[in-house]
Amino acid sequence: MATEETGDQLGQTTRLRLQKLKGQLFEVSLVAATLVGILALLVLFAYISVDAFRPGAASPVWFLAYFGTLVAPMAAFTLYARRKPAVQETNARAFAAVFGGLLLSVVMYAVIDSLSPYDVFTYVFFASIPPALVLTYDRTTDDRTYTGPAIPVSIIVGLGVAAVLYDFVRGPIGIAAEWIMYFGLVTVPAALLVARLTASRRGRRTGAIAGGAVAAGGLAVALASIVAGIDASLPVVLFSGSVVPTSYVVWRSVRTNPEGRVGVVGPFVLIGGTLLGASLVEGFGIDNPDTFLTPNLLLQSWDGLTASNAGVYPQIVGSIVVVGFMAVLAFPVGIGAAIYLEEYAPSSGWGGRLATLLEVNISNLAGVPSVVYGLLGLALFRRTLGFGTGIVVSAAGTLGLLILPIVIVSTQEALRSVPDDLRQGSYGMGASRWQTLREVVLPEAIPGTLTGTILALARAIGETAPLVIIAVATTTYSPPSGLFSSATALPLQIFAASANAKPEFRHGVVPAAAVVLLVLMLLMNATAIVIRNKYGRGN
Amino acid sequence: MSEPDTSPKVQTTIETGDEEPRDAPLNTKETIIETRDLDVYYGEEQALDDVSMEIYEHDVTALIGPSGCGKSTFLRCINRMNDLIDSCRVEGDVEFGGKNVYDDDVDPVALRRKIGIVFQKPNPFPKSVRENVGYGLKIQGYEGDVDERVEESLKSAALWDEVKDQLDSSGLDLSGGQQQRLCIARAIAPDPEVILMDEPTSALDPVAASKIEDLIDDLAEQYTVIIVTHNMQQAARISDRTAVFLTGGDLVEYDETQKIFENPEHQRVEDYITGKFG
Repeated sequence: MATEETGDQLGQTTRLRLQKLKGQLFEVSLVAATLVGILALLVLFAYISVDAFRPGAASPVWFLAYFGTLVAPMAAFTLYARRKPAVQETNARAFAAVFGGLLLSVVMYAVIDSLSPYDVFTYVFFASIPPALVLTYDRTTDDRTYTGPAIPVSIIVGLGVAAVLYDFVRGPIGIAAEWIMYFGLVTVPAALLVARLTASRRGRRTGAIAGGAVAAGGLAVALASIVAGIDASLPVVLFSGSVVPTSYVVWRSVRTNPEGRVGVVGPFVLIGGTLLGASLVEGFGIDNPDTFLTPNLLLQSWDGLTASNAGVYPQIVGSIVVVGFMAVLAFPVGIGAAIYLEEYAPSSGWGGRLATLLEVNISNLAGVPSVVYGLLGLALFRRTLGFGTGIVVSAAGTLGLLILPIVIVSTQEALRSVPDDLRQGSYGMGASRWQTLREVVLPEAIPGTLTGTILALARAIGETAPLVIIAVATTTYSPPSGLFSSATALPLQIFAASANAKPEFRHGVVPAAAVVLLVLMLLMNATAIVIRNKYGRGN
Repeated sequence: MSEPDTSPKVQTTIETGDEEPRDAPLNTKETIIETRDLDVYYGEEQALDDVSMEIYEHDVTALIGPSGCGKSTFLRCINRMNDLIDSCRVEGDVEFGGKNVYDDDVDPVALRRKIGIVFQKPNPFPKSVRENVGYGLKIQGYEGDVDERVEESLKSAALWDEVKDQLDSSGLDLSGGQQQRLCIARAIAPDPEVILMDEPTSALDPVAASKIEDLIDDLAEQYTVIIVTHNMQQAARISDRTAVFLTGGDLVEYDETQKIFENPEHQRVEDYITGKFG
């Protein structure tokens, strides 16, 4: 019935105009809210960065030098790769391999060094032998029902054996040179990994050769360092944890991806540009920015009197050790609890009510202020268990309790997002609950779980209040030497230094250390994103 | 009240049904599943009321009826998929091969390995085509040549020619109809005796649906197929026997498909089939 009358009704009425206006106003207010949030953060970061880098002291030539060696080549490379997805992919891989490997090696070296390489080697050696035996037995038999559960059990047995035999074997092991420990801890696993990866693609013989080459390379690096008269430990770690993965990724990208092989130069443009810039600045005596963000800050111990000598190496390693041990404590418990609540707990009857009660309380616990967790940690670890003040175990335990609800909630979310269709499909094929979980549900939930848990780690690494309550020292002059040794954490040191009487601490060292903390946190978040994308792409 | 054969819609379905060369003497077939006085409750609500029926080996048995009449519930009782719903309570017997599947010594996991199921919405796992089809073999610890069995199953599901070059790409990359045939291949790979299908074509376009219908016909050579459908023409085309459930979980009539569609005993069934209600 489209008459002329209908046509007349198509124009805009006041009512329609008002509705439209309301919608536009809403949109404008949303944009404003977004901008306010982003601007506030940007201003904050700008303040911190200016204080940390102090670019004001640098001469214009300094900027020019780095622009020429670093910014311009990187920009050119980015422009070049803009429309080439193959190059971008290789570039991303190369970046992950180069910087991931470098970071991994440095962190491994720092942590093993602070805990004593001989101790770590003893425990790792004994913990790896029983599972190796289990796997060997698995090869020889057809009945593989018990292999899965036997591996974690065998690792625990190995750790127990190590603890019992520690006093007997620690002496003889201590005779060996330190680099041999690192060779066993880093080079051997790297060689095995390379052998396995190569064998899966190009046969066992090539795999064995590749693994052997890695091991031989590690030995060669160690010998070269000894001949050159430097400590062989760090070179061995850097070779195995950084050079090996980098070469592997570069080699594979060049071989398998001819279109994108240019991408591997990305990280080297960055590193080369930085080095070139630094050597230019050094060579021509150009004024550097008056920053406290120097190698000194990263590698020295704290000095509360002279700002230029103040370093936060023990604090960084302390943070990493505490958060790492916290992850070992909290993740199995948190993920286990989440899987139980989501997949096994009854949904009706008394059991169901109990589960609901638990879930509600866990969500509430996620919002409890961290100071309160500090009090809990103090009561539990210091008073009840009688642990020493401010030791790694207490700090890790307290932070573990703090992130436990976050881990549980995010893992539950991840499990809940797995479509029920898939579970039904698996049960319908005659899979048991465990098989359904293992084969279908958990693989789907891994990205979400990892993202959530790594974000929880990032939260824990920045926590200060609970550590203050359980009396963790703000300053220690050496990294923790074991789980029961006293430790400190980076945010605590920042907190303490912000009250230092000298302005160069408050306006120089504190922002510089804050940048270090932020970088640590951002690296964790980046890892979360990489993992999520890697697993997400499989689907 | 008009006679059923005056309705053109029903007439065509019956003609299609007659074209099928599968009117072997039904009474010689053996009973494979028998339910006796089956009552199912979801909490307080009764979903099936005193259902007793016998399902014959190598038959295609269609379950039809309006929404909420309990036909899916009935289907899921057979391989105890209802166990997964906490509030569900089953009374009465479901005998499969002479054994009540609700006996205490029956493991639902073992039962589902004998009675496979295909769902309404294609639900391939986010794994490769090969892993999807091999899933049942893997979890059941199959010791033979998995690849060979995967190929056979894909051939039986009329999917082999379309996917033989992409066995290692994700099952989710296939089209909807292919995904559903992948689910059928997955269900038959471990060689069950019975395949339950819960409206397997209702989420598919007509061409994909007709492929599945042809497939069901072939599958009946080897397996017993029980299919829930909302589509009466489909029931008429592919099934040997039809059970009509009406509101309240009542099995009103169960007989040879031809008889149900041509000359039903109950007025309510006739009304439902001719589209007077439901």
